[in-house]
Amino acid sequence: MQSLELIFFIVCAIVTIGGGLITIGSRMPIRSAMGLLTTIFGIAGCYLLLAAELLAAIQIIVYAGAVVILFIFVVMLLGSAAVSPRDAGSGVPRYIGAVTFLASAIGALSFVLYRPAPAAPAIDGAVAEAATKAAVKLPALPEGFGTIEKLGHEIFTQKIVPFELTATLLLVAVVGAMAVARGKQHDPTRQLKDEAGAADADSNAEEAT
Amino acid sequence: MSDSVFFAIAPLLVVSLGGLLLMMTEVFATRRADADGPSSDLAMGTFITMLAGAITAFALWLVGPDNLAGAKAVAPYLLVDRFTLFFDMVLCLGGGIAALLAGGYLPEHKLDRGEFYPLLIFSTAGAMVLASAGDLLSLFIGLETMSLGVYAMVGFRRGSMRSTEAAIKYFLLGSFAAALLMYGGALLYGVTGKTALAGIGAAIRAGVSSTDWGILLLSMVLILAGLAFKVSAVPFHMWTPDAYEGAPTPATSFMAVAVKSAAFAMMLRVLISVFGDPLSTSWGTGWPPVVALLAVLTMTVANLVAGRQSSVKRMLAYSSVAHAGYVLVGVVALVEEPGTAQGSIMFYLLSYTVSTAGAFGALILCGSRGKEAVSYEDLAGLGKRHPAVALIFSFFLLSLAGMPPTAGFFGKLYIVSSSIGAGLHTLAVLLVLNSVLAAYYYLRVMEYMYMREPAAGAPIAVPMRSGYVRAALAICAVAVLVLGLWPTSSLSMAIDAALALR
Repeated sequence: MQSLELIFFIVCAIVTIGGGLITIGSRMPIRSAMGLLTTIFGIAGCYLLLAAELLAAIQIIVYAGAVVILFIFVVMLLGSAAVSPRDAGSGVPRYIGAVTFLASAIGALSFVLYRPAPAAPAIDGAVAEAATKAAVKLPALPEGFGTIEKLGHEIFTQKIVPFELTATLLLVAVVGAMAVARGKQHDPTRQLKDEAGAADADSNAEEAT
Repeated sequence: MSDSVFFAIAPLLVVSLGGLLLMMTEVFATRRADADGPSSDLAMGTFITMLAGAITAFALWLVGPDNLAGAKAVAPYLLVDRFTLFFDMVLCLGGGIAALLAGGYLPEHKLDRGEFYPLLIFSTAGAMVLASAGDLLSLFIGLETMSLGVYAMVGFRRGSMRSTEAAIKYFLLGSFAAALLMYGGALLYGVTGKTALAGIGAAIRAGVSSTDWGILLLSMVLILAGLAFKVSAVPFHMWTPDAYEGAPTPATSFMAVAVKSAAFAMMLRVLISVFGDPLSTSWGTGWPPVVALLAVLTMTVANLVAGRQSSVKRMLAYSSVAHAGYVLVGVVALVEEPGTAQGSIMFYLLSYTVSTAGAFGALILCGSRGKEAVSYEDLAGLGKRHPAVALIFSFFLLSLAGMPPTAGFFGKLYIVSSSIGAGLHTLAVLLVLNSVLAAYYYLRVMEYMYMREPAAGAPIAVPMRSGYVRAALAICAVAVLVLGLWPTSSLSMAIDAALALR
């Protein structure tokens, strides 16, 4: 990796992880949303580095432009009710959990990456040598990689099956969202609401007369 | 015609198109105010759709997947082989039974809304995609299609805090598990540069450098953790009792049956096609010790905790966790005895599907609105008041416990024999001991039904009346009996299916 790219990657990584920390660490939802926005820009930067310009643009348009804005709308609508209250219990168990998770993650990573060379009975020296050489070299980018044209061609020829399956996924998401949102009208308190509604109608009728 | 792509993926198409059709009819149907709710015809429509899916899969089985030229066009995203077709049949069976149960349960409990059925159908379609996926892309899409539908079904009873809590819990943990799986998949792609499972497996078999091997190990751990969550193996099972208890019971039955089978199908495909090389399958460096540990923990912990539950539904939830542990024993045996172990796993999943769906169905039948069967006490004296209901409940419980003339017995027998064949004597002994432990809480339900009298003034369960639930129970009972008396033909089908996955 060239040094300029490395610097760019490190900046993007810091922005992404920092944004993520703000997102989960902040008590104010609006700050969390802003943290998420930062993360999304960081990830878009990483996509740029991977020569996926279109994906980077989509990432910004869809996530930053639509998803985060929706979050902010909800937060604004909820107003001050959206601030999560301070937990009554102490935060110690949470910190213990976080530290344990981090320690085990780092432990697992370092075990995996820095342990002595594995006893590889199946791979003899020559094969391993060849594999090492082959693995380091990623294949060169094909012509037109990351452009809209190429992506469209890819999606509608080779990857048509997963593309069509995505349609099912979206359909399920829509029906599921509707089922969960509409369900509120059918809860046991509906009776009460109906009665309240009837009372309202009565009072309206009285006003009219 | 037989070389058409549509012919090759017919079961999936039949189920999806049936779902679309039902959605449209539900939208345009006009119902009088005094008419029955949407369940009255949607349940039957859903069942017929699933039945058509299963029959199509069976027809393709008879034709032989090798004769389907169109199958090549969808490979590797959807693999059409006997393994896929077998799971298509199991999943359609599980989904169809859940639809019938919903047809009785939803109107009874005032949850009668038409959305449940499309969710059920498309979840099943997602599960079928998952079982046939030969590529990380379609695998993930199938997994999410299945899971999203199930999340919504779990949260279907919006008025109940418990149901909403269950849905949120399941949704958050499920998304986390999906993220782990995806991270593992991304690392696999990073090492091998391929997304097709077979391609990744071939690249790993060809040999990787020691750094790459480390990354592979990490991805193996991540993928196993994600899979263990989906099959609810201990210690990734914490969501199971809450989600199973909070969900409407037909959704619970679907989760216990279809979601679990599809997750095991995914596990088998991933472990065999991707991590099937000698290094990954060795006891020193690969997944067998991890899966063995998961199996032992899952069986033991789930059975110990299940015995102490006071809610029957929660007990059945833990019992389904324990059954995942028994199947995991079979997964460990894959290394030494690939054909028989996998055949026994698939037979077990089939027998477990009919027994568990039947048990949940019987639990639904035991209760009616305001008089649900929840705790053991609710069932006290049911054997005297409603002998037929109690009898059929006992029958499914005996099958879950693994008593001889039922499907559950042969399921366990084949798993034990294949694990002994693979030299895993300790695991086999633990499995048998655990079945004895499990018999305690299954028999306890029967003790309450037949040998206890309800305390004076205590709430008792009053069975509901529903032709749909009875039909579902009849199907399950016949299947349990047939699998228990003549297991050979379905076992040989399972082994045929297993041999497709090489």
